[in-house]
Amino acid sequence: MAPEPDDERLILDPTAERKPLRRRPASRTRPVAGPIGLVDISKPRGDVFLDEIERLLRERSPGLELVRLRKPTFTKPAPADLRDEVTRRCRVVIQALAD
Amino acid sequence: MGFPPPPDAPAPPLLLEDLAGGSLALSLGDQSTLLFFFKHDCPTCDLTAPLVERLAAELGPAGLAVIGVSQSDASESATFIARHGLHFRVALDAGLDTSAAWDFDAVPALVLLSREGRVLEAFEGFARADWLRLAERAAGQVGRPAPGLEAPGQRLPEHRPGCGSRAHDPEIAQRLAVRRGAARLAARRVRIPAAEDPQEWLAARGVDDGLPVVPPTEARVLRMLEGTSRAAAEVVALVPPDLAPATVEKVAINAVMAGCRPEHLSVVIAALEAACTDEFNLHGVLATTYFATPVMIVNGPIRRAIGLNCGGNVFGQGFRANAAIGRALQLVVRNVGGGRPGEVDMATLGQPGKFTCCIGENEEESPWEPLHVERGFRTEQSTVTLFAGEAPRAILDQASRSARSLATSLGLCLEAVAHPKLHGYGEVVLVVSPEHARTLAADGWSKADVRRRIQEVTSRPLRACLPDEECAEGIPLEALPAEIRGPDGRPRPEVLALPVPKFRRDDDVLMVVAGGSAGKFSAVVGGWVGGRMGSIAVTREITR
Repeated sequence: MAPEPDDERLILDPTAERKPLRRRPASRTRPVAGPIGLVDISKPRGDVFLDEIERLLRERSPGLELVRLRKPTFTKPAPADLRDEVTRRCRVVIQALAD
Repeated sequence: MGFPPPPDAPAPPLLLEDLAGGSLALSLGDQSTLLFFFKHDCPTCDLTAPLVERLAAELGPAGLAVIGVSQSDASESATFIARHGLHFRVALDAGLDTSAAWDFDAVPALVLLSREGRVLEAFEGFARADWLRLAERAAGQVGRPAPGLEAPGQRLPEHRPGCGSRAHDPEIAQRLAVRRGAARLAARRVRIPAAEDPQEWLAARGVDDGLPVVPPTEARVLRMLEGTSRAAAEVVALVPPDLAPATVEKVAINAVMAGCRPEHLSVVIAALEAACTDEFNLHGVLATTYFATPVMIVNGPIRRAIGLNCGGNVFGQGFRANAAIGRALQLVVRNVGGGRPGEVDMATLGQPGKFTCCIGENEEESPWEPLHVERGFRTEQSTVTLFAGEAPRAILDQASRSARSLATSLGLCLEAVAHPKLHGYGEVVLVVSPEHARTLAADGWSKADVRRRIQEVTSRPLRACLPDEECAEGIPLEALPAEIRGPDGRPRPEVLALPVPKFRRDDDVLMVVAGGSAGKFSAVVGGWVGGRMGSIAVTREITR
């Protein structure tokens, strides 16, 4: 059946449609500059993956400031204080999950 | 299509469900078909059902397909079937799309289709003559004699009115209209994921102004479009800074988001037309680091028709028409034109009117002709005047009892616009409260008299308006006409005593009466760079 027109979730694009109506990613940093946050979302073995990322970053960019952070649980969005810490302390964030 | 359809009209497709809710593919065109549209609680349908059953029993075996199409739900339909002991196939018109496509007003509605799927007979309600003819033609289709519909000594009623088709129930009719109307909307559809709050989702896309927006669903946008007679696809303007085309539909979408009602839409459209003129220079108004933003002043009968506030708290909160119309224009500029703060909009401080700023002139309490009449329109026309303005600034005079004294106060306060030493200034809007207007009019002062006094009282010797050691701000030397400057570029000594009024022309003081009946306060809305270099107020007629 056709979607109901009064469906609150089906909306009409209010823009000039020159870009996709998506969240735009932040601009890339080049060259790699810190401080870089490595955020573990608390899935098993995420730390193993981030340890390896940290090792590679330290090897390739000595002196880079790295901040290790961890979400309490992967099942919920990051709590406000963690988001605040990320925005205060990090210029770039690498969020990783592993399974 | 209108009912009954003309003979030989092709049948619309049947989009039906079986009683278990599954979709039912019925192909017409293999055999002659009789359709019987009904609803369970219609006495005329009760009268009709046994006749349909009779035709099905007599002519079905010879090849006549009989399909009952129920407008009721599955259980109501089952009750109806049981009540009449029906043996022919009954399908559900659950969404009422098929009923709407046939466009009959009443049930029962009977349609006889040929083997080729073309209309042979169609009628609604009940008439004996219709039924006798239908029986003849249905029988003729399968090469049988017409079955008798009346037992001996019994005669069918001559006429019984039907009951209203459910496709015309207000709520359903509106839903069906939306579904049909949605096809003419061209905007890209976006589905908000089920896990997300629509308002949070929209905010994260940056299509808001910092406050929640109403999700622009198809139904809401279609209702909004009822506010204008213009076609949805018509381009209203190319909106700076991106010069993107704003169709009526895009304006309607943003008007929905802003909280407009359909009757507000024509004001938003006219305001957008005004904003996108060369004179108004929206690109400049947006890009400046100054405070300017479109300030809308509405005149004419539409103010009362849409409940636009012209009285107390006219610049304030609490009036939907004012709040939503001003906001809609800002959202169009942001979303269609791409004018966003921090990007093209480089305002240093901005001002709260950049959320919304729309007032009506209190024409009823004005002793003078309203703004739009001064600007060449007729009283009975409705207009919107767009002015690139800053936030309103208070002018207090509770003491003046004469026009001359009050106009002097107005002038002294107006001199402070932007900077007291900046004379030769462009347009401002002087919003005169009804009490102040009464004081001025009581002495017989016209708007022109007030303007003259403002120019008189603000006139300072050129010397006092020039940058000096005490204060480096003032009329820039390069702005002075060449003929009054000496070889060193500075004004010649003999012109230093010449009086320079605050405004280039008397008419640069646009005057409107607005606000509540009580209060000896007026307001000035300062402008941005006036004249050809900046922005000039633009008035457009509001047409539906």
